[in-house]
Amino acid sequence: MDVFGSFALLLAFLCAAYAFVGGIFAIRTRHPLLVKSARQAGIATCGLIFLATGSLVYLFFSDSYWVSYVVAHSNRDLATFYKIAALWSGQEGSLLFWSFLLAVYVCSVLLVYRNKNGELMPYVGVVLAGVQIFFLTLNNFVASPFKVLATTGANGTLDIFTRADGNGLTPLLQYPEMVIHPPNLYSGYTGFTIPFAFALGALLARYPGEKWIHLTRKWTMIAWCFQTMGILLGAHWAYAVLGWGGYWGWDPVENASLLPWLTGTAFLHSVMMQEKRGMMKVWNVWLVFTTFMLCILGTLLTRSGVVSSVHAFAQSSIGNYFVGFLLLVFAVCFVAYLKNRDYLKSENQLDSMVSRESSFLFNNLILLVSCIAVLSGTLFPVFSEWFSGSRISVGAPFFNKVNIPIGLLLLFLTGVGPLLAWRKTSTDSLKRNFGWPLVVALLCGAVFFALGVREFFSLVCLILCVFVTSTISMEFFRGARVIRARSGASFLASAVDLTMRNTRRYGGYIVHMGMVLIFVGLAGAAFNRDVQKDMQPGSTLQIGGYKLLLQGFDSKVEKNYTSERMIVEVWRDNKPLMMLYPERRFFQTNEQSGTMVAIYSTLREDLYVVYAGQNPETQAPVVHAYLNPLVKWIWLGGLVVVLGTLVTLLPNRRAVLVLSGAPERAAQSASGQALAPSVALREGHD
Amino acid sequence: MIKRRLAAFSLIVALIASSSALLSSSLQAQQQSDRVKQIGGKFMCMCSCNQVLTQCNHVGCTTSASMLKHLEEAVARGDSETDITSGFVQEFGTKVYAEPPKSGLSLVAWSLPSIYLVLGTLLVVFVIWRWRHAVPRAATVSGTSSRTPGISAQDLERARRRVTEETED
Repeated sequence: MDVFGSFALLLAFLCAAYAFVGGIFAIRTRHPLLVKSARQAGIATCGLIFLATGSLVYLFFSDSYWVSYVVAHSNRDLATFYKIAALWSGQEGSLLFWSFLLAVYVCSVLLVYRNKNGELMPYVGVVLAGVQIFFLTLNNFVASPFKVLATTGANGTLDIFTRADGNGLTPLLQYPEMVIHPPNLYSGYTGFTIPFAFALGALLARYPGEKWIHLTRKWTMIAWCFQTMGILLGAHWAYAVLGWGGYWGWDPVENASLLPWLTGTAFLHSVMMQEKRGMMKVWNVWLVFTTFMLCILGTLLTRSGVVSSVHAFAQSSIGNYFVGFLLLVFAVCFVAYLKNRDYLKSENQLDSMVSRESSFLFNNLILLVSCIAVLSGTLFPVFSEWFSGSRISVGAPFFNKVNIPIGLLLLFLTGVGPLLAWRKTSTDSLKRNFGWPLVVALLCGAVFFALGVREFFSLVCLILCVFVTSTISMEFFRGARVIRARSGASFLASAVDLTMRNTRRYGGYIVHMGMVLIFVGLAGAAFNRDVQKDMQPGSTLQIGGYKLLLQGFDSKVEKNYTSERMIVEVWRDNKPLMMLYPERRFFQTNEQSGTMVAIYSTLREDLYVVYAGQNPETQAPVVHAYLNPLVKWIWLGGLVVVLGTLVTLLPNRRAVLVLSGAPERAAQSASGQALAPSVALREGHD
Repeated sequence: MIKRRLAAFSLIVALIASSSALLSSSLQAQQQSDRVKQIGGKFMCMCSCNQVLTQCNHVGCTTSASMLKHLEEAVARGDSETDITSGFVQEFGTKVYAEPPKSGLSLVAWSLPSIYLVLGTLLVVFVIWRWRHAVPRAATVSGTSSRTPGISAQDLERARRRVTEETED
């Protein structure tokens, strides 16, 4: 099967090369058969990558311990569930997985648009094939996952040998979320290739109008949604597994995933300017280019060892290839822009400083500043070493100080932007839209202050959260009230109807609401507390309103590891509340240990208990307990963001008949009259 | 009787003294622990995990334990934060800082985000200003043209559609 996989990858490389070269000839000659053959080669490339990936998965499931990658990342006792995760646990496999996910996107795009957009698609196909060629080069010639274990025999021949068992999977990866977090994150990274291909293709083809934007909007939303889910799942994994009581440590790998998310978010907003007003064309094209390049840069950072990270499970000199590819992509984008920049001239101008357009500009500015601040902070240790010879670390305190004010500005714009009118917003409109939300937010702020929220940034964050919630609620309320008055439906049904009439707008509001929930959760971090204590059975630990009573220990032997559990009884208000079982696992195969944190999670706070090992001096077991307020809101916010994104992907109700006066209709209907109500035909608007 | 009262009084005094000594030592321990957390939050763990010293508890890390012990001893001795920091920098180099110091080359890291924000804001304001001032010029040109035709019904309808499209979302 390893030979089959290698062969499939090699064929995939050749097919991608044909799709690229054939595509260029097809564009030049405009020969329909050549166009078709290039497209078919693109689809064949994807099919072959699927086969190669399937081969590697099969090798894991069949415990093929003559394949180097399988030996390094699996063992016989590894649960089936984690044998799938082993696919992306190392460098070679994760690069193949990258190719696989890219192939899923490419195949979908080539099939969906096979009979559409004939002028644009050959360009898109060439760009996609170019990206695939790069990854297939790595898969075939630099980091092949199908290398076998071999020794040189006495007569100089290579003898393949088989190991009895593998080294096993890194314990940190043996956690359910590691089965879903990387696929989500990778789907986000690879997904941004599609808008990149359309943007570059449209620029090269000088494709008229904003059609490429319409074509790619859904693909961008899908990629963005995956990226969001990937980031949040990664944060949850860090929270539940790493055992340091936090979910975001501004680690370079975390930062690398955030960078394209920031520019992707900026693009999703500024693209509306182009759709509605024909403005910011250059900006949008470069935002898409930058987002794609940041995806590649993220991989470079995590794979090359340029920056150290606890999350980087695979590092090598492969970074040079990524640097080369990054430079090539930049050069191609820059030349394409220079040659075709007149195609990107703005059609409209701006009427007022206080308008939706301005808010988008400031939204983009803040997202970009955040992106550049994170990027420069991540790379500063490298630059400081270059310039001064000594590496200066940039850790979480720096990123928090820099990004908290930026995040709050962004949160403010989240509330303000959507309620500003296009072109110009009058003073009356400002008062009408923001008067009440401002009053409610300030009143709530006074209540929060009275309740003891004195941390400045947390207080501001909570006030802004109330402000944004009020503005969004008012939008839903006003729209639903109109529908309710006309249709007589319930308020909830009217709100759903309103959302379905303009899924993009109201789905966007739901996404904003999800972000508000996330910010509420982040505001809680200022009030985190923790206590670390040596404990013996029978001893107690007090944290906040909770008392932890260590009842004892037990141990269990599982197939792949042995575990020692603490049995902790949690008391609150002098009443037993629940049992928690923080544990430490020892994986025999690779002789590594791992923690399993026990968390009692409520909307108010998380009680987070870690079995932190033995005190080296007293040998007493150590418990590290944290009380983290509002963390659950982050995960809930993530779910709302995903829900909102799904809503934005739904098609609008194309035409809605809004009939005035339900009772009148009933009367007319009963009297047999033809229905002649005042009918407002409202076109669904995307 | 007096002896008994004296004994009771001395017992009470001893109790108060011992409990206040206990309280003060516990307060001191708490203060020391808080100080360790506060100063430790400014250093990175040197095991390459890229975590702040007081937060690093990843499995198998021996570096953070020894660094924390070193810090606790320094705090217990009553060393100043500056002395502790310079001691750590001397031992581990500048990479021990959790955040760049606000001096020398590190000032660049601190000032860059503000510079981006200020420059970006100026740029956005300039772009908006330019876009705004382009409108009257266009209007003047079309308004002064003697050959400007009247607005046809088709043009009007197209303009209405465009206004709806541009202001709907």
